[in-house]
Amino acid sequence: MDCEGRHFLRSPPTRKDRRVRPLDPRLRHIRPARSYLTLTVGLGLASAGLVVAQALLIAALLAPVIQEPGVTPAGGLFVALGLVVAGRAVVAWAQERFARRAASRTIADLREQVVTAVAVRPPRGTGSTPDGTAVATLVTRGLDDLEPYLVRYVPQLVLTALLTPALVLVVLWLDWVSAAVVAVTLPLVPIFMVLVGRLTAGASERRLAAVARLGDQVLDLVAGLPTLRAFGRAAGPAERVRALGEASRDATMRTLRVAFLSSMVLELLTTLSVAVVAVGVGLRLVEGQMDLGAAIAVLVLAPEVYLPLRRVGAEFHASVDGVAAAGRALDLLAPSGAAVAAVPEAGPARPAEGAGRPVTLVLDDVHVRAGERGLVAPAGLSARIPLGSGRPGDGRVVALRGPSGSGKSTAVLVALGLVEPDSGQVLLEVAEHPGPSRERHADAGGSRGPGDHPPSTGTRLVPLHEFGREAWWRRVTWVPQRPSTPPGTLRDILHLPPGAEGGLVPPQRTVRVARAARRTGLDDIVRDLPHGWDTRLGLGGTGLSVGQRQRVALTAALLDDSADRPLVVLDEPTAHLDARSEEQILDTVRTWRGEGRTVLVVAHRESLLAIADDVIDVTARPVPGTALTDAEPGAAR
Amino acid sequence: MNAEARPSRVRDPLWRLLPLLEVRPGRVAAAVGLGSLALVCAIGLAAAAAWLIARASQMPPVLTLSVAVVSVRAFGIGRGVLRYLERLASHDVALRGMSALRARVYSGLAQAPGTPSVRRGDLLARLGADVDSVGDVVVRAVIPAGVAVVTGTGSIVLVGAFLPEAGLALAACLLLAGVVVPWLAARAAARVEADGAAARGRVSGIALELLEEAPQLRVAGRFGGRSADLRAADQELDAANEAGARISGLSAALGSLAQGLAVIAALVLGIPAVAAGRLAPEELSVVVLTPLAVFEATAGLPAAAVQWRRSREAARRLLGLLEDDTERVGESRPGLHGVSLDLEPGSVTVVTGPSGSGKTTLLMRAAGLLPGQGAAHALGTLFIAEDGHVFGTTVLENLRVARGDVGEEEARAALGAVGLTPWLDGLPDGLDTMLGTDATNVSGGERRRLLIARALLARADALLVDEPGEHLDARAADDVVRVLAAHARDTGTAVVLATHRPIPAGLADHEVALTLRR
Repeated sequence: MDCEGRHFLRSPPTRKDRRVRPLDPRLRHIRPARSYLTLTVGLGLASAGLVVAQALLIAALLAPVIQEPGVTPAGGLFVALGLVVAGRAVVAWAQERFARRAASRTIADLREQVVTAVAVRPPRGTGSTPDGTAVATLVTRGLDDLEPYLVRYVPQLVLTALLTPALVLVVLWLDWVSAAVVAVTLPLVPIFMVLVGRLTAGASERRLAAVARLGDQVLDLVAGLPTLRAFGRAAGPAERVRALGEASRDATMRTLRVAFLSSMVLELLTTLSVAVVAVGVGLRLVEGQMDLGAAIAVLVLAPEVYLPLRRVGAEFHASVDGVAAAGRALDLLAPSGAAVAAVPEAGPARPAEGAGRPVTLVLDDVHVRAGERGLVAPAGLSARIPLGSGRPGDGRVVALRGPSGSGKSTAVLVALGLVEPDSGQVLLEVAEHPGPSRERHADAGGSRGPGDHPPSTGTRLVPLHEFGREAWWRRVTWVPQRPSTPPGTLRDILHLPPGAEGGLVPPQRTVRVARAARRTGLDDIVRDLPHGWDTRLGLGGTGLSVGQRQRVALTAALLDDSADRPLVVLDEPTAHLDARSEEQILDTVRTWRGEGRTVLVVAHRESLLAIADDVIDVTARPVPGTALTDAEPGAAR
Repeated sequence: MNAEARPSRVRDPLWRLLPLLEVRPGRVAAAVGLGSLALVCAIGLAAAAAWLIARASQMPPVLTLSVAVVSVRAFGIGRGVLRYLERLASHDVALRGMSALRARVYSGLAQAPGTPSVRRGDLLARLGADVDSVGDVVVRAVIPAGVAVVTGTGSIVLVGAFLPEAGLALAACLLLAGVVVPWLAARAAARVEADGAAARGRVSGIALELLEEAPQLRVAGRFGGRSADLRAADQELDAANEAGARISGLSAALGSLAQGLAVIAALVLGIPAVAAGRLAPEELSVVVLTPLAVFEATAGLPAAAVQWRRSREAARRLLGLLEDDTERVGESRPGLHGVSLDLEPGSVTVVTGPSGSGKTTLLMRAAGLLPGQGAAHALGTLFIAEDGHVFGTTVLENLRVARGDVGEEEARAALGAVGLTPWLDGLPDGLDTMLGTDATNVSGGERRRLLIARALLARADALLVDEPGEHLDARAADDVVRVLAAHARDTGTAVVLATHRPIPAGLADHEVALTLRR
């Protein structure tokens, strides 16, 4: 009923999204939205017909009785009116029933498309992605704003477009004078609303921004309560909160006094027009210039003519959020109006993909611009990283070294093919024939350029994208700083056979899992879990801390088939790592090496560098011509 | 609305929370009055116009119609103006309510015994939204309901005065549209929420996981599977919406039916009455055409009922936050036995131990922030949490949280001591630079140092710092520890540092090592 006011009470102005088109044409690409629009148009037409029929039937029943009391109208008219009333109920039912369903399907569809589209972009922190939090908010809550928009606003809009002209035509047929009044006043409604809106827009937006800030300040104080309490200053701001509230109310009311003017104009024009029509009809009846039946029908129809437009006006502000949410989502799907990009994973594999066995990973003069930081990090990174063969003694530990913000983690993402370097390339040296080639260990150097060593015989150099990222990923085990775990129980995740551990002759897998868990420290964690190995991990392993999830991921990585996945990539955690955990991680890394795998580690501490066979130095440098403003260590992770 | 008169054993959380809105009944009555008058204009317009044309068709002298003509026009103007006034009045009431409620909630949280944990962004946003939602109940539920009652009754009386049985029929239809339909709408909303809550949680959980963990899911080959899970969860949500949509479809159909039935009933009852001479023809016109306008009064009630429900849920959450402190005192904290801290002036104590051994608990207990066995709350102990809050205000004001009279020079000196001078020089407005809410434009390392600088400015007998080197590289972390140690020596403050990493040798006077207890 009062969506406009609510809008003003609540939302900070979203005016920068205000290329508000009432109906985003791109929505037609969303299939549920398209069929919904078709349905809405159909229901709109039905609704128009029923409204007219109802008015004419009421007039036909009423007029003769008023003119000649005692006349009994034909029973058929009652039946017809009853059918029309029932028909309107059915239309109302269908609109509500299917609008909600279509809305929820449209939202689901958009959500899935946005998630998929955003997820395949380069990971955050590389400067080229939209703000992650904003996308998360949009996907989880923002898109819900589409529901009122689709359920209430769009049908009214369609009704306005269909019902209003149809009703004007019927009124014209009944009584052209009334039709003239309607035809003159109808366009005034949007014109005046736009005029009043224009006059008041600037001032209200400035005030609304101030109001939103005041609201945020109160929440900020609540958020800081523990801090205020620690400093013994928690009681002080109570008065400030009240004062802020009063100030916010004053500012809002000043805005509302102006903002509600447009609705007043709307109400005034529509009601007054109905009054003018009624009085005009009445006066012509007295003169005998008009038929009572037509007069009654016009009187019933006149408010209906304005009704859809009034509702559009009432729902407009509620719809702004919905339009903005849809617009943001559609922008993410097709940034420059281009066709929605296909998800690479979904595409058919090219025949050459994954052919051969990669034996060396080559980074050739890799540069990645770290967007807003005005840095190239890493800058000019070249390295040859031999990949393990899975035979004991064949493994090695390669550490990435460099100060915070030098691009170590980005280098890992580049090596995984998740980030495209701005210049330079990532290549794989691939053995044509399966089977280990011993000679390549001759050139297992640290950071020499690939040009220094021609590819060994029997191998060829392939750009990573040509080899195929999918195929590459099947060869890699990656343990990031914040690993996620698949849903399910720990037992499922680690493929631990059911039954008690430590039976008489435990299956081989059980022995392996137990050994791996002991190495990573997962066994300590499992011992403290209420259901042990059968503990169900929630979404993304909630219920476990980051450190605990790290243990799960390390254990799973230890259990991977070492011949199958010659490369383990480990982004060493920095926070909350005590001496014991550190030792466990070192132990795990040594085990991998012992199994003949190459471990590429982002090393933050000396202990890891100490066990590394090769060290690759990663350096950053400012983008040429950009002042280096934020060199704060730690800002770059 | 006179909730204040009600005893506190009222169970409905919304009724219990309404007094906190400090709403004056007079203001609500004024808003309801204005809203009713606005709607009376709409109904009056329909009734007067119906009478006008029916009478006019009998071709009386024009003068006899003048009253009707004038009232039709007056009603036409009155409606817009009165509605405008009503909206201002109701929003004023709502804003006053929200402002009062926000202040009460803040005070309530500030006085609560535990440590409020409304720090996480989502909880905080929900607190804000909940306060708004409770305030909304005035504009969106209470006032529309009041207006519907007043105008509905008025219309029944008007129609009943002409033809009592038509009045009764209208009353029945209004009850259907004003009570049954909103009840159904609220039930539909409740149904969707109850059935869909789990699915909704799963949908946002998986969506967030896909967004945040996409790279590792793709590398591990699990991306496709999780996308399918998202689709499945969305289908579950869809099923819950379906159940709700069936009820709300019924509600919409009944709402439409009620109006039509009222018109048909008026015709069926009125036409014989006219034939019998009990009802004048122009009165029949009024009896039949008035209901077409009356149902505007009930049109907003389904939304009002849904809002009432939603506000009640919000009120329940707010009350939970204000009254239940068990939730806030915290997650299970490790037990500590036989650990003692000596806070000699000017001494530096280091508390070490692996994660989860209770370092933070020990510090908080020493600061008197946690109840517990052997809590020794010395006056003037200051606990600097690892995740201390940076307020959305200027750098200087943030430092003044420690002490209201911190001067600019003092502030610069403190920032310099923790190595933030280059950062300060880079800020556009120096000490007057606004920091984002929860310091989003401050990096982890800068934030950590800013919090240490603030601690240095406080006048405390003992400073208990949790993980001073977090988010800093080893060299910077050591520097911060040195600064804190120097502060202890210079000012005689006892400094206790809880840390999981070694600190530079020779700085600590005492060391307390905690171990994991099984």
